[in-house]
Amino acid sequence: MASSAKHAQKFARRLFQLSLADGAVSAERVTGVLAYIEKHRPAKPVMVLRAYHRLIAAELARGQAVIEHAGSVSDASLQAIAAAMTKKYARAVTAVPRPDPALLAGLRVRVGDDVYESSIAGRLEPLTAG
Amino acid sequence: MFAPLLAEAAAPSGGLLDGFVQLLNGLGVSWSGLIAQMINFSIVAFILWRFAFKPVMATLDERQKKIDSGLKYADEMKAKLEQAQQESAAVIKHAQVEATKLIDEARKAAKEFADREQKAASDRANDLIAKAQQAIELEKKKMLADARGEIARLVVVTTRRVLEKELSDAERTRFNDSAVRELTGA
Repeated sequence: MASSAKHAQKFARRLFQLSLADGAVSAERVTGVLAYIEKHRPAKPVMVLRAYHRLIAAELARGQAVIEHAGSVSDASLQAIAAAMTKKYARAVTAVPRPDPALLAGLRVRVGDDVYESSIAGRLEPLTAG
Repeated sequence: MFAPLLAEAAAPSGGLLDGFVQLLNGLGVSWSGLIAQMINFSIVAFILWRFAFKPVMATLDERQKKIDSGLKYADEMKAKLEQAQQESAAVIKHAQVEATKLIDEARKAAKEFADREQKAASDRANDLIAKAQQAIELEKKKMLADARGEIARLVVVTTRRVLEKELSDAERTRFNDSAVRELTGA
């Protein structure tokens, strides 16, 4: 069981490498990879697809800056943040705005697993943590 | 009365023996009678020696030996008794010393045991007191922390409600612009 899971992970990683074009996830290549999997079903296809999906999602998240905000944020601000993150991570990062009234005011930016926050909710949160 | 006889005997008529015989004859002692008396005496003496004196002497010797033996035995017994008394006295003394030693050791062991038990009980009591104090201290700290957390939570909740109501769009926009500057390092 452990051996087959490891094999599926390895295979998913190879498929993920094939899905990249110029270091970024390419929609055409992902489509081609999925068509290949559909035609040539590997052993444990569900396990392989889950691992592949996890890798693609993580890679896409690394290229997106999800900007949660309360109140209005101008396009210029979004672009400024995307530019700052692109510079910081040395790869293309696009801004994806997402309204979140729970922040009260301010922003929370997620790039992959990294979180940057400057909001009133973020400043109030440590007070309740004690 | 004897003077004539002695004079007659002293006369130098037939020698000393004849004189002696004549003296005996003068006394009325005849040779045959004397010899018969001597033989009779010898026989009586032998019979007395053989059947009276000898058994009596043997009995006396035997009794003397028995008495000597008894005295010797009594002396030996006395010596043995004295030795036995000395030995028993020594044994009693040794036993007394051993008993005293055992009693002292028992007292010492009992005292040590009592001291150990007392110390253990004291340690247990101190441990219990320390644990109780720690528990009280922890409970107090926890209570204070809970109270502090609850107060902070109420303050935050209240603040949030107030800010949700009171913050205007313009203020939010200003805060957002400030956040953008902070995040971009501008």
